[in-house]
This record gives sequence, C-alpha cells and structure tokens, in this order.
Amino acid sequence: MDDQIVLATGIHKTYDTGQVKVNALRGIDLTVQRGEMVAIMGPSGCGKTTMLNCLSGLDDIDQGRVVIDGVVLHDLPDDERSDYRARSMGFVFQLYNLLPVLSAVENVEMPLLLSGVGATEARRRSVDMLEQVGLAERANHLPTELSGGQRQRVTIARALINQPSIIWADEPTGDLDSETTEEIMALIIGLNKTNRQSFILVTHSAEVGGMAHRIVRMRDGIVVDDGSGNDGA
Amino acid sequence: MEDLFGVKMDYIMIVLLVVLLPALAAIGIMALRNRVMLKMGLRSIPRRKAQTALIVVGIMISTLIMAAAFGTGDTISFSIRSAVVDGLGTIDEIIVPTRSSGEEQLGAAPYVPIERFTQLQQELSGLASIDGLAPGIGESVPSLNNRTRQSAGELRVAGVDPDNLSGFGSFDLLDGGELDLLALAPNEAYINDAAARELDAVAGDEISLFVEGEPTTFTVKDIALAGGLAGSDPTLLLSLARAQEVLGREGLINSILVSNKGDQHTGIEYSEEVTTALRVQFTDREAAGQLRETLSRPEVLEVLEGREASLRPESRQNLASLRAELASPELSDRLISLLADDEIRGHILTALDESGQTEAIREVSTQFESLAEFSVLDVKRQFTEQADLVGSSVTSIFIIMGLFSIMVGILLIFLIFVMLAAARRSEMGMARAVGARRFHLVQMFVFEGTAYSLMSGAVGVVLGLLASSLIVAIVNRIFAGGGVSGADEFQLTQHFEPRSIVVAYCLGMVISLGTVGISAYQVSRMNIVAAVRNLRTPREINVVTTRQLLLEPPLALVRPFILVVSALRALASGRAVRSAGLLGQIALSPLSTPAGFVMAIYRLLARPFSQGWLAILIGALITWNGTTTDLAMSYRIGFTIFIIGVGLTIRTLMRRSGIRSEVADRVGYTFFGVVGLAYWFVPFSVLQKITGELRGGIEMFFISGVSMVALAVWTVMYNADVLMKVLTVLTSRIGGFRPVLVTAVAYPMSAKFRTGLTLAMFALVIFTLIVMSILTEAFGGSNEQIEAATGGWDIRTNANLRNPIGDLATAIEEDPSLDSADFEAIGGYTYLPVQARQVGAEEQRWRFYAVRAADEAMLSNLEDEVQLIAEGYGETSDDVWNALRENDRLAVVEALVVPTRDGGFEERSFQFQMEGFYYDDETMQPIDVELREPRTGEIVTVTVIGVLDRSADLFGQLGGGMYISRAGLDSAVPFEIPSTNYRIRVTEGVDPVATANSLDAAFPEYGLESRSLVAIAEESVAANKAFNYLFTGFMALGLMVGVASLGVISLRAVVERRQQIGVLRAIGYRRGLIQLSFLTESSFIVLLGVAIGIGLGAIISYNIVQEIQMEVETIRFDVPWIQIIIIIAIAYVFSLATTFLPARQASNIYPAEALRYE
Repeated sequence: MDDQIVLATGIHKTYDTGQVKVNALRGIDLTVQRGEMVAIMGPSGCGKTTMLNCLSGLDDIDQGRVVIDGVVLHDLPDDERSDYRARSMGFVFQLYNLLPVLSAVENVEMPLLLSGVGATEARRRSVDMLEQVGLAERANHLPTELSGGQRQRVTIARALINQPSIIWADEPTGDLDSETTEEIMALIIGLNKTNRQSFILVTHSAEVGGMAHRIVRMRDGIVVDDGSGNDGA
Repeated sequence: MEDLFGVKMDYIMIVLLVVLLPALAAIGIMALRNRVMLKMGLRSIPRRKAQTALIVVGIMISTLIMAAAFGTGDTISFSIRSAVVDGLGTIDEIIVPTRSSGEEQLGAAPYVPIERFTQLQQELSGLASIDGLAPGIGESVPSLNNRTRQSAGELRVAGVDPDNLSGFGSFDLLDGGELDLLALAPNEAYINDAAARELDAVAGDEISLFVEGEPTTFTVKDIALAGGLAGSDPTLLLSLARAQEVLGREGLINSILVSNKGDQHTGIEYSEEVTTALRVQFTDREAAGQLRETLSRPEVLEVLEGREASLRPESRQNLASLRAELASPELSDRLISLLADDEIRGHILTALDESGQTEAIREVSTQFESLAEFSVLDVKRQFTEQADLVGSSVTSIFIIMGLFSIMVGILLIFLIFVMLAAARRSEMGMARAVGARRFHLVQMFVFEGTAYSLMSGAVGVVLGLLASSLIVAIVNRIFAGGGVSGADEFQLTQHFEPRSIVVAYCLGMVISLGTVGISAYQVSRMNIVAAVRNLRTPREINVVTTRQLLLEPPLALVRPFILVVSALRALASGRAVRSAGLLGQIALSPLSTPAGFVMAIYRLLARPFSQGWLAILIGALITWNGTTTDLAMSYRIGFTIFIIGVGLTIRTLMRRSGIRSEVADRVGYTFFGVVGLAYWFVPFSVLQKITGELRGGIEMFFISGVSMVALAVWTVMYNADVLMKVLTVLTSRIGGFRPVLVTAVAYPMSAKFRTGLTLAMFALVIFTLIVMSILTEAFGGSNEQIEAATGGWDIRTNANLRNPIGDLATAIEEDPSLDSADFEAIGGYTYLPVQARQVGAEEQRWRFYAVRAADEAMLSNLEDEVQLIAEGYGETSDDVWNALRENDRLAVVEALVVPTRDGGFEERSFQFQMEGFYYDDETMQPIDVELREPRTGEIVTVTVIGVLDRSADLFGQLGGGMYISRAGLDSAVPFEIPSTNYRIRVTEGVDPVATANSLDAAFPEYGLESRSLVAIAEESVAANKAFNYLFTGFMALGLMVGVASLGVISLRAVVERRQQIGVLRAIGYRRGLIQLSFLTESSFIVLLGVAIGIGLGAIISYNIVQEIQMEVETIRFDVPWIQIIIIIAIAYVFSLATTFLPARQASNIYPAEALRYE
C-alpha cells in the first residue's frame, strides 16, 4: 500500500513546565496508509497521546513535519487547521467527551453544523449515523442518561458523521468493560472495512491492539517498533 | 443623622457590633482550631485574582449602598445644621407675641410695646441659662438700589437695639471689622451680604425703601456678615429706634431674641431648659389649669395614648410625659411647658380630631388660645431636629431605593457559593469520604466568605462614600440650577459621621455573613458518592420521621441548657479543654439558638409546604390578614403564596396519580408562575374593587418587583426546553452561527439554578430602571401638562403688601417703559389666610386655610380646569368661573383639600380638609364652608361648587387656597385688603421672560417680583427629572452586581468546561467560535433578563400611570425608548466586557492541553 494518509517525520515535542522540561517526543517517524487501522501502544508516559495530539494537529510540534492526506498540517493557521479537523478528521476519546448539555443527536450533528451543513440535513444525517451505531432510539437522550458503551457509540458517530478520511482514537475502550469493548471494537472494525477510513488508536489493551492492522510500539518518546512486519488482524 | 427608620443610630450601631463582633470572634476561634479548613477555604483567593476581584465587587454592593445612603444623609443633616447655626448665629430662641393688637402687618408677628420687653428683662434676669435678650422689629418692604436699579420685593428691615447686644457675640462686617449701630447716621444703614447680592449693592450705594408708598433712602455704610442678628435673608439693619420710625411703629417691637449661655454651637444644650422656663413664665396659670382639667378626662387621655404609637421617639416621649403630668394632681412647670409647646398642641388636637371628640376640640382650641401672652419658638433646636429628620429620611429613601440592588447582591452571594461548591464538589466529597464532617465544609466556606466579606466591606465603604460625594455634587448642581424653589443658594457640604461608616460596614458585613452562612449550610449538604464520582445528586429520600421533625424546634431551644449541664460535668470531671469548648458554644448561643430554632422550623414546614396544602393555608391566612387590616402588602403576598400552594398541590396530586415527575413539575410550576404573574398584572384599582380599599406605600414597589421577577424567571426556567426548541426552529437557517447558538443556549439552560439567579439579578435591576424611566417620562412635563398647570397664564407677579400697587393694569398703561399692547389679560387676587370648617361635617375644628379673592379680570380669564363640578352649576369649567363672578358667596377649592378614594395623597393634619365626597367622583353636591377671618373673628359662609384639577397652579407650587370673588371678600371683612398677587397673559409673540423682567424694573417701589410660569414649570420639571435620574443612577448600581455575576459565571465556566472546550476545538471549533460561544451565552442571559425586566417594568408602569391618570388626566404613558436603549446598551456592553476576558482565555486554550485537563 503506498496511499499514505499520514506521513510524519522527525517529530519532536518538549513540555516545559517552567521547572522541568519533558521531552515527550524525540524524533518520531510514522506513516499510515489510507484505510489502515494502526494501534499505538506502549507503557504509561511513553508519549502515545502526545503523538496522537501532535499528528492530529491538536497540539503544536517543536520540530518535524506532519503531512495529512497531502496537507502539511502545522503550516496551516489555527483557524484553517480547525476547519480541516471539522472536515477531514474524527476524534474518539477515552472519557467520551461529549457535550453534557446537548442530546446524543445534537452532539453528533455538531461537526456537520460547523462544516456549514443545513440544520435539517445535519439532523437527518446524524439520526442515520446513530442508527448505524445502533443508538437511533436514544437520539434525544442526554449523555448522562446513557451507559458508557452508548456514550462511546455516540462519540464514534460524532467522529464519523463528516465521513472523515482519518479517525483518531485515544483509548476508545479504556473506560469500558470487556463485553462493551468487544462491541465497540467490532463497530470500529466494521466501519473501517465498510468506509475504508483510517483509524489511529492509542491503547493499553493488547486485545484491542491485536484487532488493528498494525501495532506501533513506543517507549520514552520514540517509536521502537513501527509494526511494519506485523499485518495485524 | 441621629435616627434611621425611627431607631437611634447609636442603638443600631451597638446591636450590629453585638451581633458582628462575637460572630467574627467565633469564626476566628474556629479558624485557629481548624487550620486545614482555613487553608482550604482561603487558598483560591490569591490564586484566582480575577475571580476574587469580581466576587468582591459583587458582594460589596450592600455596603456600598448603605455607605452611600448614610454619607448622603449625614451630608444633608450636617449641611442643614450648619445653615441653621450660621443663619441663627447666637440666637437660640425667639419670643413672639401671640395676641393680636390689630395694628400689625398682615402675615407679620403681632406687636407689643417696648416697655413689655423691659419688664420681661427684669422678670427673666434670674435665669442663668440666658446670656442675651434683645428686642427686635422686622418687616419686609420693597426696595431698590438706586445705582444698579436692582430691586428686592421683600427686603427685611430689621431694627436691633444697640444697648442689648451682650450675649449675642460679635456683630461682624463682611470685611472683618465690627458693626456699630450707634455709629449710623439717620440716613445710613447696614445691609447683610444676602441683601448685597440681591440688590447688587456695595458700600456707598443708595437703597430706597418703600413703606406705605413713601420712599425712604439710606446709604449703605457697610456690608454685614449674614447670620445671627444680621439675619440670613436679605436684610437692611438699623438701630431699633430708627427702624421703628421708618416702619411707623414707634415704641413697638414684634420679637424678642434669646441667646443661651455658650456659643452658637453649644447654646442649644440649654434650649430645653430655657424654653421650659420661658413658657412657664408666659403661661396664664389659670388658663393652663382649665386646659389641664379638660385634658385629664379619661376619654382624652385614652386618645392621647393612642396617638403616641404613631409618633417618632422624641414626640412619643413628650406625649407620654404630658399624660404622666396630667395624671398628677398638681399643675407642674413641666406640664405648663409641654402645653405651651406648639408641636404637642398639634398632637393633642390631631388626636382629638381623629377620635371624633368635637366638643373637646372646641373646648381645647379655645383654651389654647388664651394660654399664653407670648409664644417661645426654640428655633435652633427645632431646625436642627428637622435637619436630622431630613437626613434620616433621605437615607431611608436611598436605602429603600437600594433594596433591589441589595437583594441582587444577596442573590450573587448565593450564586457564588453554589458555583464554588460545584467547582469543588469532588474534592469536598473526598474530604467527607476521609472523615470531614459537614460542619467542616460549612466552616471552609464560612472562612472563605468571611475573607471576601471583610475585603468587600472595606471596598464598599470607600466606594459608597465616593458615591455619596457624587450624589452630593449632582444635588448641588440641581440646587445651583435653581430648580428647587428657595434652595438655589443652599449648597451641601460633604460630611461623614464615623458612626455611620461603622454602621454601613457592619450592616454590609451582617448581610454578607448571614447569606454566606446560609449558603455554606446549603452547599455542604451533598451525597458523598455522587460528589466523588461527579455524578448527579440523587433525589434525597427523607429518612427523618415527623416525630423527629416535631421535636427539633423545642430541642433547639433547650440546647443552651444542655450545653451548660455538659460544661459543668466536663469541668467537674477535670476536662478543661472540653469545658472551654462548651463554654465557647454557650457564649455563641444568643446567635446560634435562634438560628437553630429557625432552621428546625424550616425543616419542619418544608415538606408540607412543598406538598402545597400548607402553602395554601399560610397564603389564605396572610390574605385574610390583608383584608382585615387593609394592608396591600399582606393581601398581595398572601394571595401569591396561595397561588403557589395551588400549583404545588396540583404537582403533588399529579405525581401521586402516577404522572411522570418532570411533567408534574412543569404543570405545577408553570401554573403558579403564570397565574401568579397574571395576578400581579391586575391593576391596583381593579383589585380594590374586589378587596375594598387597601393601603400600600413605596414598599409595594419593591415587593411587586421581587415577586413578579421571581415568578417570571421561575416560569421561564421551567419551560427552558420550549424556549430552546423555539430557538432551534428560528435558527435552523442561520448556518455557521447555529452551533454557537445551540451551545450558548444549552449551557445556561442546563444549569437552571445559576442561570435563574443571574436572570433574576438582571431582570430585577432592569425592572427598576424601566419603571423609574417610564414614570420620569410620564411626569416629565409635556407641553400639555405645562399648559394645564399654568392655567393659560404666562407670568406670575407678586407685589409687596407694605406698598401694594393696586390696579396693575392701569399702572402698566401709565408707565412709559411698558407697552400695554403686550398684555392680553391681567388678573389679580388677594391672598388671605383664614380658618375654615365644613358645615355639617364630622370634623368641626377650625383649620388653617386660605382664600384667593379674585378680581373680575382674573375670574373672567381663568382657564384652570375644574375637575369636579357641583350639580346645578353647569357642565364646563367656564360655567363654574362665571357662577363665581355672578355670586360672591360661591367658591372653588383646590384638589389638595379633597380626599381621594385610594387615599393616595398624604393627609395634612393641620390643614383644612373636606369630607363626604372624593376627588375621583363624577360629580358633587354644593357644600357650605364657614370661613373665619382670624383677626376680627368675622365668619362668612361660602358654598363650594367645584374642585380644581390637581395639576392647577403647577401642582400647588404657586400656592393654594379657595377661589372666591373679590366682591365676596370685600363684603366679609371690614377693612380693605389690597391685591398683591397677579397673573398675566401676554399677547401672542411676546416673550414672557423679558416681560416679567420689564415689569420688575418698571415698578421697583412696589417690590414687584415677576416670573414666567413656563420657566418655573420647566425648572421644576428639570429638577424633578434630575432627581429621578439621580435615583435611577443609584438603582443602577445593582447592574454592577449583575455584570460581576456574569463575569464570575464566565470565569467558572472556562474552568469547568475546559475539557469540553478541548473537544469542541478537536471537532473543528475555531478559536473565534469558542470566544463567540461564550459571548453569545452571556448575551443570551443578559438579553433574556433584560427582556423580562423590560416586559414586567413596562406592565407595572402602565398600571401605575393608569392609576395616576384617574387623578391627573394630563399624565401619559410613554415609553422613553432612547433612555431604555441606553440602559440596555450599558447593561449589555458592560456584561460583554466582563465576559470578554474569560471568553478570550477559553479560546486560547490549546485543544490537547484542554483534553488532558481533569
């Protein structure tokens, strides 16, 4: 596969707390192919989430270059980077991070509204998407009225609503029990296969990692194994 | 300022200190004993500087308002006192003859021969408290400065005896020298600096006085410093003998001035003693004995006792002393002194009048007439008491006006604590999980709240005093503009009493600390698991039994005794620390026991109240109380609670019948919100048709505002989802802005309590501002109002009674400097004070009134509207005026002497009042009124056939009195009383102001003083508006709290929603959108609050204007859009400005950083 959707080279990121400097990423090189599902694994504090944030443009980098689907992400001004995320990326987080004051369907339709889709169309597509993730009947419930698995489904629906080419997931099953984890991963794998969207997952779970096409292993801010020899699931 | 709401400021200060100091001491001891909680409570204060600043600004409002009110009151008291002391100098009392000799000038004090003074001087020589006694003569005459041609219509000519100046201090000239009356040549005089200003005179000028038409010219020798013997009004000073000669009163005096021991400031200390001694000296003991006999009757004593309750403390004490003295068998000096006091006399007559003892009134009135030869006026004491009274009244008005802002401040403190508690919920849950008691959490918040209160109290006092300086500066500008008649030279001097500063600080602190205590208690109630896991608090299932609840109140009361027993036991068993702790709790029990009892009662009643039936019962009881006492407040509040009770009952019944609780809540709450609001929208007059007459004052404004806003906000918040749906539909086509709008509405609506509180704050403040603005506009003096108020006349002219001009129209025709073609109509009338009583009325006492005997020209040109016309006297105002011209026994009275159905105008207890009909009636029967000329005792009967419109004579500012024809007066009194008052209508195109000036310049010898009526009306309107704007500005202080509260909310929101901001940024929100989202959220709250405030304010203002319109037809309901837009703009811009920084802070958060945040 040579259809690269993510091409990161020489990524450095240092956090300066004023008293201590932490070299979170120390020269990361990573390539992800379109439609690939990559799991990033490693011990706590190795820089997995930092790498995901830097590659997705949620955080700045100190050095290096990130190209997403041909776009040099960090060359974009902040607003354009936001627009790019709204159009072409989806995010799933461990703690779901839904907006608690909005219902499930309102949470899902938010990226569409941001992209300028009309309210009626946005609502229709969001309901469809909730149906795809099996939550159509809970569309008008607030996040606090949903279980953990249901909330994560809503997050996934929100991440996919714009049909992004790439979805970033930080510990998507970290807060779920094993049964729900399986359900969520089945959903992700299904979507990945159906829509040929790329998934980059940060996870602690070997089981989840095992379901990805490839596992990238990190330690102390560097990639120790990019998994190119492993074809995963 | 000595009193506030009738309570001595000293007492208020002591009570506040007694409450506050132990409370602070207790908090201090708790802080020492529990440093961990102290540290937890105080740590965020320095850490979150912006939030701390906003909280301090919000909490300080109560103190600021108190300090501003006290500062203004102190300044007014001090300034009036200073003016009194400067004006009177060393004069402490004035003795004036009471018995008329028929020789005196109308309106001036009666005369007595100078020999009576010499006799008195000897009689009083033994009175050590008096160090000066001086005979005096004084009358006002027209005058003219021959050099500058400036005239003064009422220049006082005062004669001072140079041989009796000892005790009155120095008699100073303006340039510092001493005034010497003996050095005056026969054609020389001194004038005081007030006269020098009025006449534009300097030493050497020639001043002509016109007495009985004859000019006498004096050269000004020098200018005397006004005050004391030199008088405070424009005065020309002569030796006594020369003044008697000039005024044609040889050998006569009309006043005796008294100086007490001490200087001009300390002399007042002897005032009571001197006044008593003098009154005893002057009183006819036989007459006093007869009066005592009449007043000692049990039925009279009973009504006097009844009267006491409604009086201010000093008067109450005096009346109580009078009753005690009347009970004694002897005719004591104290009793004589009390009987000779004019104020006491007024109270006695009013009490008898109110009780309907007409025979006793007749008897007592006659006995009072013959009580004393002289009346002793303790002017300095009375005026200084008045000064304190005015200061207290102003302070009370400002505090009442500030009540809304204080209320808003209290809401803010609640809001802050709710938010602080929400922010620390999981931390507090953890603390409770590891063993912290609920009391520890209360302590933590109390420490924090106390720190904020201490800071904000200090800031509030300083800013309050600055605000009062601003108020004083504005009032001085209003005075300087001449808008308040007679006050144009009076200026306020800023002054603060240390006691007021202490009281303001303590009051602010007590309000803040009280609210902090209650809020801390409320927020400490939490479910530990829910708090730790940051879940919704589950519905509390009440496990306390009714028996326990019933036992709590008595247990709270006996707790101090239990503590005493426990402390003694601990002491006996040698546990010193334990017993010390218990003793500390015992020391606090005067505060903690009532608080505990109230809380126990609250817990006992909370459940049945929320079920509805108790609310219905309480509401019905209070409503019933309102109907029996005619108190509008009880009626309105009672019925509102009743409606709330019905709503709560509906909710309870729906829940019990299995309907979902959300639906039941919505129906029940919406019911009482909407029905309650509808009830408050019912105009007062409509309500009174059901309830009968109700009494209510300014407090109803506050109560109605708070009630309506609470009901409206409640209804909006419980139907927020409907509002959201409407907004969703409305914004479905807005596109890019929609996500912002969705979150901006969703967030505030999901936090109902804090949004509701903030909405209520804004709505309350805007409500008050709108009502003030609309009412200011309604009374703003439209052309129509001014025309009605001036009665179609353009100029008012008064001539001096000492030298009347007579036929003004002829004088104008003959004067070459005036063009008679400029004058379209000239009417004249004689003003004569009389005593009056209505024939056949219950009230049979002679009361003060006045007659305006109008000449033919006046009556035929009067355009004043007659509001009530007696049956048989035509349909129009003209019919009434024509009737007066034809029949000299007919009269028209002014509106002020006729009662209204709602009792809306204050009763003037000494003034003539008619009865048996109302101003708001459609018509009236002709009513006979007896008039008695006081000097001759001649009585004539006139028939009242009409009542003037309220707006006539510039709402009474031009003086009052009943209109009769001139012929009627001439036939009733045996002597001629000249016309001295004129109304002039100028020809179209002629300038009234210039004409008024020309008239004064043309006839200085008659002391003509002319003014354009439109100018007077406009100045008065401008002054009223300025005062209204001042009050509006003062009430707008509450906006500061609203703005601060939005700032606090936004700052907290940035912290609370950090992670959500990260998510929004991750899914594509631009920085600008985040910022816009926060600003839109604030806008939503502000605009919703503003909309509620405007809506409710406009409705209640409309009702008020409609009510007033029934009495004053020219009042119109007009919405002052520009002013309202300015208010909205200020509220909105400042709110956005406060939200801007937090919004910016939120937009600058990096998504990755925000997502990491926990």
